[in-house]
Amino acid sequence: MNRHDLTSRDWFGKASAATILGFTLTLALTCTFGWLFRTGDSYFSAQGQVAMWLVAPIWCAILGLCFLFRSGPRAWGWLALANIAAWALYAAIRLIGS
Amino acid sequence: MRTDIVKTYKDIHSWVGIIAGLALFIAFYAGAITMFEDPLNRWASAPTSITPAPSLARTPELVDKVLRAHPEARAAYTVNFDVGPEMPARVSWTKGNRRVPGPTWLASLASDGSLQVVQQQASPVANFIDVLHEQIGLPFPHNVSMPIMGVISLLYAVAIISGVICLLPSLVKDLFALRFSRNVKRMWLDLHNVLGLFSLPFHIIMAVTAVIFAFHDEIYTAQGAVQQIGAPKLERPARPDRNAPPPALEAVTGTLPPLELQRRIAQQAPGFRLHTLTYEYNAKEGRHGAIAGYDPRYGTRAPVYGLGEIDTRTGAITGADYMPGRQDAWFATVTSFFALHFGSFGGTPVRWSYFVLGLAGAFLFYSGNLLWIESRRKKERKSGAVMQTRATRILGALTVGVPLGCVAGISLTIAAAKWLPPTSPDLPAWHGRIYYCVFLAAIVWALVRGAARSGASLLWVAAAATAAIPVSSFASTLLGTGWSDNGATQLVDAVALVGTAGFVVMARAAHNRARHGPRDSVWAITAAATT
Repeated sequence: MNRHDLTSRDWFGKASAATILGFTLTLALTCTFGWLFRTGDSYFSAQGQVAMWLVAPIWCAILGLCFLFRSGPRAWGWLALANIAAWALYAAIRLIGS
Repeated sequence: MRTDIVKTYKDIHSWVGIIAGLALFIAFYAGAITMFEDPLNRWASAPTSITPAPSLARTPELVDKVLRAHPEARAAYTVNFDVGPEMPARVSWTKGNRRVPGPTWLASLASDGSLQVVQQQASPVANFIDVLHEQIGLPFPHNVSMPIMGVISLLYAVAIISGVICLLPSLVKDLFALRFSRNVKRMWLDLHNVLGLFSLPFHIIMAVTAVIFAFHDEIYTAQGAVQQIGAPKLERPARPDRNAPPPALEAVTGTLPPLELQRRIAQQAPGFRLHTLTYEYNAKEGRHGAIAGYDPRYGTRAPVYGLGEIDTRTGAITGADYMPGRQDAWFATVTSFFALHFGSFGGTPVRWSYFVLGLAGAFLFYSGNLLWIESRRKKERKSGAVMQTRATRILGALTVGVPLGCVAGISLTIAAAKWLPPTSPDLPAWHGRIYYCVFLAAIVWALVRGAARSGASLLWVAAAATAAIPVSSFASTLLGTGWSDNGATQLVDAVALVGTAGFVVMARAAHNRARHGPRDSVWAITAAATT
């Protein structure tokens, strides 16, 4: 067996990364979307609702595909990097937009 | 594709499937039934003593009498355009809302023109099944059940993705190969694959929407918190205060009568069939109205109806965000998510397809469990365990007990609607007691007797419980304790009869397999007996 072969044994590290960091990543992406298309006229704006609905497909995809990471620590590492990038994007859009 | 990826995802698929499968069976079976909530409500609701509804033209007279005699109706009363067994009155008002149903009063005009008010006795059984579906059968309060249901939905999404990944390499080879041969396990696997793949879009929709339905509030809160950093505060609209003192009579009169409003709404929204019109009043907005209706050309936000807001003094549509065919692209997008989950588009054919897809989904989870047990059994056998391990035995028993307990429990609690006293205020609790007693008894029976022995007998129980639905219709009418009306309710009886036949066929097959199938199977009586 190759050293880099994937197995399902180390699922916990990957799944926990996808659950926690996957959610914060999704939050950053959907909030970016929500801010770009915001109307700001009412609490339950359609744009806000679409941004809410987008959480499900993105988060689910991350959860489903996280087992392709080679190991738990790698999943945490890559998702942390993705988080930093996504939150930086969100912050940038907020700063430009205001 | 790399074999290690396929192998990894095969493991993931079996594990998430086995954890979520039984809960999803309940969600899908109960969900399939909610496709016909309206016919079921008609079937289960006792006729009221109320005088037949007056015509729409005569409704202003009724409304006037209601508003004078019942100030509590002034803040919100509803004029019903479709009158039937589940809503027999032209005018009604309620103390509850969608999440917390409260008592509803019905008003009509007696033959001498005097006001007649009775409390509604609509059967709660369809609502009970709906909640069962939402909470994957958990009897806990909403705020406890929903997060659990959300986790199950996430596992379901992972099961879908992993299932597709491990099917991909052999897709072309296996897809159209339904091998009904001596290898029973192969046949089950083929069936599981074909069913899963052909209903894949349906399952993706259900997983994604279920995650949102479960975590809706939490996601909103999280997104709201992020967006509000350094931004002007967005006010969440206040819920109407149900305990506010009733408004004065003058404040709520001066609105257009229902017939005139119906005419004006039809002019603005042709094709929109008005179902209800609610006249509302609060101190902030004054007189206004909410309308609910259906347009077969568009999907709806609620399971059956789309919603709109009107000015009850002019008939102008003031809010069309949730109105079929009148939404902008953004709102139409949001509505499509709801419509895709509820099957509330395309009318009756789509409802029937969702019913079939829901049952097929339930079967998919059942067959998945079955495959897991059989392959686990094989592995154990190879590693030398002659007897089945306790885990395999318990899981085998649960795979039989949970689905069949759910089926039998739902059928019996529906049938009970025609026998329980319709005036009892305790009705929802009784439906719960009946369901959970049957459900738990089936699980205990399966655990005690083992999968093989209980499988056939519980299928007979499911068949009998389902047969109890048309039998109740017939017997209770004959004895004069129940009721029967034609049309939609005969559909309920007919579907139950088909279901009964299906369970009888399955019971016979299970019986045969237990006696004459492979000896070393979880489903063989001899194997069960040795442990």
